[in-house]
Amino acid sequence: MKTEPVLEIKELDVAYHTLTDTVVALKGVSLSVAKNEALGIIGESGCGKSTLFYAIMDYLPVSSSRSGEILFKGEDLVVKTPKQMTKFRGSKIAMVYQNPYSSLNPSLTIGFQLEEVSMFHHGMSRKEARQAAVETLSDLHLGDAAGIVRRYPHQISGGMQQRICIAMALLCKPDLMILDEPTTALDVTTEAVILDIIKELKDKYNMSLIYISHDIGVVNKVSDRIAVMYRGEVVEFGNQNTIYKKPEHPYTRALINCMPRAGVLKENTQLNTIPGYVSRRSAAETGCPFVARCEKRNATCEEKYGMVERKPDHFSACDRAYATDIPDKVLSKEAGSIPEGAEPEHKTILKIDNLYKYYGPHGKRIRALDGVDLTLDRNNVLGVVGESGCGKSTMGHTISGLMRPTRGKIIFDGTNISVSWRKRSPETLRDIQLIFQNPGRSLNPSFTIENIIGRPMLKLLGIKSKQKRRKLIVDILKKVDLGEEYLFRRPKQLSGGEMQRAAVARAFSIAPNLLVCDEPTSALDASVQASVLNLLVDLQKDSGAAYIFISHDLNVINYLSDYIMVMYLGRICEYGKKTEVGGSPRHPYTEALLSAVPDVDPSLKRGEIRLHGAPPNPTKKIKGCPFAGRCHRKVGSVCDTTPPPRVNFSDTHFAYCHISPEVLNSEISVKGIKK
Amino acid sequence: MEFLKRFAKRLGFTLLTILAMSVLIFFLVEIMPGDVAQTVLGQSATEESVAALRDRMGLDDPLHERYLRWAGGFIRGDLGESLYMRGVQINTIFWRKVGHSVVLALTALLFYVPLSILFGVFAGVKEGKAPDAIISFVGLATMALPEFVSGIILITVFAVGLEILPIASIIPIGENLWQNLDILVLPALSITFVMFGYVSRMQRSSMVSVMKADYIRAAILKGMPRKYVIFRHALKNALLPTITIIGMNMGWLFGGLIVVETLFGFPGLGSLTMSAIKTRDIPLIEACVLFITFIFVFATFTTDMLYAFLNPRIRYKRGDA
Repeated sequence: MKTEPVLEIKELDVAYHTLTDTVVALKGVSLSVAKNEALGIIGESGCGKSTLFYAIMDYLPVSSSRSGEILFKGEDLVVKTPKQMTKFRGSKIAMVYQNPYSSLNPSLTIGFQLEEVSMFHHGMSRKEARQAAVETLSDLHLGDAAGIVRRYPHQISGGMQQRICIAMALLCKPDLMILDEPTTALDVTTEAVILDIIKELKDKYNMSLIYISHDIGVVNKVSDRIAVMYRGEVVEFGNQNTIYKKPEHPYTRALINCMPRAGVLKENTQLNTIPGYVSRRSAAETGCPFVARCEKRNATCEEKYGMVERKPDHFSACDRAYATDIPDKVLSKEAGSIPEGAEPEHKTILKIDNLYKYYGPHGKRIRALDGVDLTLDRNNVLGVVGESGCGKSTMGHTISGLMRPTRGKIIFDGTNISVSWRKRSPETLRDIQLIFQNPGRSLNPSFTIENIIGRPMLKLLGIKSKQKRRKLIVDILKKVDLGEEYLFRRPKQLSGGEMQRAAVARAFSIAPNLLVCDEPTSALDASVQASVLNLLVDLQKDSGAAYIFISHDLNVINYLSDYIMVMYLGRICEYGKKTEVGGSPRHPYTEALLSAVPDVDPSLKRGEIRLHGAPPNPTKKIKGCPFAGRCHRKVGSVCDTTPPPRVNFSDTHFAYCHISPEVLNSEISVKGIKK
Repeated sequence: MEFLKRFAKRLGFTLLTILAMSVLIFFLVEIMPGDVAQTVLGQSATEESVAALRDRMGLDDPLHERYLRWAGGFIRGDLGESLYMRGVQINTIFWRKVGHSVVLALTALLFYVPLSILFGVFAGVKEGKAPDAIISFVGLATMALPEFVSGIILITVFAVGLEILPIASIIPIGENLWQNLDILVLPALSITFVMFGYVSRMQRSSMVSVMKADYIRAAILKGMPRKYVIFRHALKNALLPTITIIGMNMGWLFGGLIVVETLFGFPGLGSLTMSAIKTRDIPLIEACVLFITFIFVFATFTTDMLYAFLNPRIRYKRGDA
């Protein structure tokens, strides 16, 4: 190594002690970060990513122990006293957290929270500190820096809050910045802007970065070298391209195959699933941490295990990722496993006509849905995508009857159901089911799984016999890969993935014809998400139900849907078949959205459209195109004054835009998915 | 702007509550069994004297007229005439007693608010350790003692045993409260006994949850010293629930100290109410109860406003600064 590493971790062990036993959180972690290098760390929840940065910052709970060496510019942080650590924290090593809103103190002004950093570490007066804060803020392209420092955190948008947090970390020009999922809570277009800023500032301040995330795509954008962690160990360490193209550890390989990514569609590939779950690690355990869930395990897993440089600059703890004695799982589907030629019945099941939904009192009303039309056929999956506040969830909730539309019609199977659920017929209630984002909060914690799944059967199918219901419940549980033993468990006893599968089972227990899925996998880890997505695909194929799949994640939408609808501020931007919207997006917003999507495959370089600013205030009545204020291809004042016309590109593909159809058609965007 | 709107709205509700309560109090007294005049004069009174009193009190007038006369009197500041102490205007004794009660309440606040917040914060940051356990135990123990028990203990120790404080809170004739400030100490201490556990536990639990917040972690990992984090970052957020609790008890403190005042013989609103009830002095009862209601409602209103003022999320809605 040419330069002295800024941070070098050697054989770091961290364990948490409870009264009865010891849980290993980190085991033998060795990593180094060179000057101005960005190191990415990926892993699922429970793999020790957060413990790692807590260990570096000496912020572990009292009931824990730490051993090994953490050399920061040659000084061992493990032996520092808490008082000595305050000299490093915030000044030499700075942090940026996942949730900017909760990381800022709600009752102190932004200025105050920025100033105190310089006042403590550099002994500045409040006036000098304010000056420094304003200067740093302008580095982050925050327009009115002097105004922002007087505000409270809740008064600015999420993207701005995260920039404030980054500014706070930058104030003392740290040598090392640790970013813990800094963009996970943000919208994808905001994420892209923040990632750009991080990259830019890294070089400007000549900092080293450790970027922690569960999302390989995001890590790819910032860092060159990636460490993969699993159950407290670094299992693989290397360049982003080699990690993606030829992962050397079975876990990395399995994880990448779990992720919906470019070129992977439900028609051609099944997502990989990893059986079992991330279990706690006891002190007695030796050998490979992944062995229990690994499909390539054999007798050598115990003794042959250990970090070895397999290729130049590529370390892995296992050499069995491509072992041929155990064949790979077949993930590609044969053509025709989903009958594409023999188009299934083209029966329209849902028709929405000019749907409006307003919230709030007159004058301050929020236009959550501002005139949405759509039709959905049986057997089809409509993916609805858009950033937070675009009305996608509101649409799902009005369709499922959780709330009544302000205006407009929802026709389901020939009946007008634009009323609240109380006025819907039992058949309609049964036919439309809903799956929520967070199963932990949408399943009643005091009910058993049998009660949760059985209740709609009793109420909506009128199955009075408990025996009969139980038989049906066991059948449906088997379909979602949960055994009979789950009947009497309660949601708290289930893992996140199991809970969501139970929620899917509840929705399917009464054979609905339309399923509204509101971000059903957003709270889940990649491997768990894969199993839920596979399940949804299989159940759809079997039942012929139609799905409305709402998500902010374009990779997931692209994998699962047949049609894609892009929404912005309560209106439709673009609608079409998956190949049309995903392959050749026409609307500038879709273009920008696609270009912002983080790719799992680092060799895919998408366009560089960055949206600045935030969506306009939803309480203001918008005369023209809602996207006009942020559009990079704005035509002129017509965009602000006149609603955009509908432009048809094919029978199924249209967009609402002022750009002339010829231009939209000819400049077929290069920003789409290209291989 | 938001704040003013909130202020106006809450004030409206406050006034409405007082109006509703005044009606309720008036009619409760009205529907009490027996004839008021008869009750006042006793069983041996002649029919003529009862009729004469009824006439003098205006008891034969229609209900709404009597209510308006009574309520109107209050608004003008005329609380009426005491029945028990014939010919004495309630005004002449009432406000002096209210003044005494206010002084006592403020003294008690001065005792227990800083004490319980300080110990609550201390227990909160030492969560699960010995100081936390000790403070929680003391709080629970003092809270479990009714004020007449803790009061007697205090009297035994400070007045009987150490003889440093007076046994009863009596103001000698011809003197006023300011010349006898020592009589405030024991009643205030006994209120502190009741409130300490309550408020310190509240403060502790809000401190515990605030210390676990992401922004506290962020402040510590910014390199801020621990004391600074506790007092500048955590306390302001952790005070909000405590303020609600203190405010909610303000009504009790200013108007409901019947037990404490009776125990120590403190000449305040509580003992006045007590003696009014004992002597069935109806106009005085009405005055006391309405005034106590007023204090309760107003204390709640003040707390609400204070809370809104301390919480920037209420003070400024998103966007306006």
